Amino acid sequence: MSVPVVCSRVAKTFRGGVEAVRPLDLSFAAGQTTTLVGPSGCGKSTLLRMIAGLEAPSAGDITIDGQPPSETLRTAGLSVAFQDPSLLPWRSVRKNIELALDLARRPRNARDIDQLIRLVGLDGFADTRPAALSGGMRQRAAIARALATKPALLLLDEPFGAVDELTRQQLANDLPGIWEASGTTTILVTHSVSEAVMLSDRVVVLSRRPAQIVADIPVPLPRPRRVELARQPAFAELVDTIFTALAQGMADAQPKAAQ
Amino acid sequence: MTTLTRVSNFGLFGNVLRATILGPVLIIALWEVAARALSDAFVLAAPSAIVIYLIEHAGLMARALGVTLANAGAGFVIGNFAAIVLATLATVWPKSDAVIRGLALVIFCLPLVATGPILRVVFGPGPWPQIVLAALAVYYTTLIPLLVGLRALPSAWLDLVCSYGRGRFAALLHVRAMAALPYLVSGLQISAPAAFLGAMVGEFTGAERGMGVLTIRALRGMNIEMTWALATVATSVCVIWYLAIGWLAQRFMQEEPPVILATPALPATQGPYRTALLNGLMITGALLFVWWAGLELLGLNSFFAKGPWDVVTALFLAPDATANRDTLIHALGETAVFLVPGYLVGLAAGALLAMLVVLVPAVAGTAMPLAIALRSIPIITTAPLVVLMLGRGALGTVVLVAIMVFFPTFVACLQGLRQAPGQIIDVFDSYAAGPFEKLRKVRIPAMLPAFFAAARINVPASVLAVTVVEWLATGNGIGNVMALSASLSDYDMLWSSVALVSILSALGYAAVGLLERMVLRTYAPEQLQ
Repeated sequence: MSVPVVCSRVAKTFRGGVEAVRPLDLSFAAGQTTTLVGPSGCGKSTLLRMIAGLEAPSAGDITIDGQPPSETLRTAGLSVAFQDPSLLPWRSVRKNIELALDLARRPRNARDIDQLIRLVGLDGFADTRPAALSGGMRQRAAIARALATKPALLLLDEPFGAVDELTRQQLANDLPGIWEASGTTTILVTHSVSEAVMLSDRVVVLSRRPAQIVADIPVPLPRPRRVELARQPAFAELVDTIFTALAQGMADAQPKAAQ
Repeated sequence: MTTLTRVSNFGLFGNVLRATILGPVLIIALWEVAARALSDAFVLAAPSAIVIYLIEHAGLMARALGVTLANAGAGFVIGNFAAIVLATLATVWPKSDAVIRGLALVIFCLPLVATGPILRVVFGPGPWPQIVLAALAVYYTTLIPLLVGLRALPSAWLDLVCSYGRGRFAALLHVRAMAALPYLVSGLQISAPAAFLGAMVGEFTGAERGMGVLTIRALRGMNIEMTWALATVATSVCVIWYLAIGWLAQRFMQEEPPVILATPALPATQGPYRTALLNGLMITGALLFVWWAGLELLGLNSFFAKGPWDVVTALFLAPDATANRDTLIHALGETAVFLVPGYLVGLAAGALLAMLVVLVPAVAGTAMPLAIALRSIPIITTAPLVVLMLGRGALGTVVLVAIMVFFPTFVACLQGLRQAPGQIIDVFDSYAAGPFEKLRKVRIPAMLPAFFAAARINVPASVLAVTVVEWLATGNGIGNVMALSASLSDYDMLWSSVALVSILSALGYAAVGLLERMVLRTYAPEQLQ
C-alpha cells in the first residue's frame, strides 16, 4: 500500500519569530522515494516533522492520501526513523521492534520480526541491547523498527547521520531494496548529495532558511542500484546538477548588500 | 611495564584495604582509647561498652527496633507511594506541576517537631503519628528525583511514541516509567534513613514503645551506654537499609542509580516574573485550600485543629496578638543565632573538604562511597550524642546543624567536582596547569550547580535539626516554643509557629534558589534550559 502526500502553502514560524519554512507547495507521489537536500538548519527537518504530524504548520495544509496527518497518526500509518536511532536502552533489538508494534496496536508476529532482523543484517543480535551494538547496527535496528508496522509512509530524518562513511555506503546499498519491495512512499532528509542520488527517484533542493524550493530534479537511474553506479557519468552529472542547485540556493538567500 | 602495572594495582588494592578495613579499625581503636581516657566525663561510651550493653539488653533493643522499623517501613511505603502518584500526575498533567511541587515543598518544610504533637492529638497513642511522620519525611526526597527522571530523556523517544499516534499515557507507560527507574532507586535510597528519622521523631512525641522512646529515656537518665548503643543501632540499620536498596536495584537494573545533584528549583523561581508571581499565588491559594479542606474533611475538633483564619486571628486580631507575635519573633531570633552559623559552617565545610579530597587523588576514589554511606546516617538519631559531648549550649546546637548540612553538601560537591568535563581538564593538562589552577578554573565552576542544589535542600534539613535540638536539649528558640505550646495545649501558638516556620523555610529555599539562578546563569546556563 502506498499513499500520496501533498503540502500546499505550508509554512512554519516558531515561537520567537524564527521563520523555518516559507509557504511552499510540494507533492510526493505514491510509492516514490523523494529526498530533501539543503544546507544545515534550512528547515528540511521541520518540514519532515510537519508531514509526520509531530509539528503543526503555522499556515497551509498537509494531506496524506487526502487526509490530515493526524488521521494517519491515529491509524499508525506512518513511521519515522530519527537522526538519532532512539532505541530504548533497556530493550533488546527484538523488544525495540516489538515496541513499535505495541505502540501501533498491531499484533506481534515473531516470524515477521525475525525476518525483518535478518533483512537489515542483524541476525544473531536480536536479543542484544543497543549499548552492545555499533553505530551502524543501531541505525539498522532503528530502520527495522520503522519498517515493522509496514507503514504506507516512511519518513527518514538523516538516518545515516551518525554513521561512518563505509557503513553509510553499505546501508545505502542494502536498504532501498527493503522499502522498494513494499511500495512505501518514502521521504528522506539528508546532507549527502551522492546518497540522495543513490536512494531516490527524485531530489528536491531547498534553499537556506526559510526553506524554499530551488530545484526539483528527477533521478531516472535504473534500479536496483549498486555502489558501482556511482562511477558512471550519468550519476556524476546528477550529483553535479544538485550541487549547482545547492550553491544557487545558498547565493539566493544572501542579503543583497553582500553581493 | 608489567611491573609498573602490578605496583600500581597493589597500590590501589592497598588504598581500598586502608579505606574499607584499616580505617574503621583505627577509628574504633582510637574511640576505645578516648572513651577510657574520658571515662569520668560521661560523654563517650567505649565500643566495648556499647557491645556489652547491646548483648545485655538484646531483648529490649530488638523489641524497640522491631517497633520502629515497622513504623518506618509503613511510612516508607506510604510516603514513596504518594511520591510516585504525585510525580505521575505532574508528568501526565503538566499544568499541575507548579502547584504539586510548591505544595510538596511547603509540606516538606513542616517542622516535624510540631507536626508530631499535633498528629499525636489527632491519632491518639497508636503508631499512626510515627507512620505519618515517616511518610512526610520521605516523600519529598523521592518526588524530586522522580520528577527529574520522568523528564530526563531524549525528546526523540517521545516523538517516537507520537509518531505512532499515541499520547502521554503511552509515553508514560512505555518510555518514561523505565527511564525514571534509576532516579526512583536513588530517591528510595535517600528516603530509607529519612523514614527511620521520621518514625523516631514521632516516637519522641509520646509513643509507648520504640527506639525514640528509649532515646528519650536514655537522655533523661544520662545513660551514656544506652544513648550510644541506640545511636549505633539506628545508624547501622539505616546504612544497611540504604545499601540493601542499592543492591536490590543492581540485581534488577543495568544502570547505576544516578547521584541526584541538581534538584530542579521551585517553579516559582523559574520563568518570567509574571509567571513566577502567578505560580506563587496559585501555590499559596492551593496551600490555604488544602489546609482548610483537610481540617473540614477530617472533621477534627476545633480545640486543637486550627485553620488558616485561626492563625491570622491569633497573630493579628486577638487581644493577646501582640504578645503572641513577640513570643514568636523572639524565639525565631534565638533560633536564627544557631541556625544561620551552623548552616553556613556546614556548607563551607562540605565544599572545602570535597575540594581537599579532589586535590589528593589517592583519597578521592574511596572517599565517595564512604561519604555516600555516611549521608545515609540519620543525623537526628545522633543528636543526643552531640548534646552529650558538647553540652546543651550554643556550641552543641551549631555543630549539630553544621553536621546535618555537611554530609549532603560534601557528597554533592564531591560529585560535582569530579564531573568537570574530562576534555577541558585535558586542555589544562596540555598546558601543564597545576592542580590548584585546575581546581579554581575548571572544577569549582563545575561544582557550583551541585553546591547550590545541596544548599537549597539543606534549608529545611537544617531547620529540622535546630528545632529537634532545641526541643530535646537546649530549651530555647522556636523548637522550645513548639514543645512548650504542645504540652500546654496552646494550639493557637503551636499552629502559628508551624505555619511561620514552614513559610520561612520555603521562602529560604526559594531565596537560595534565586541566588542559585544568578550564579548558574554565568557558570552553567544549560541547567536553566
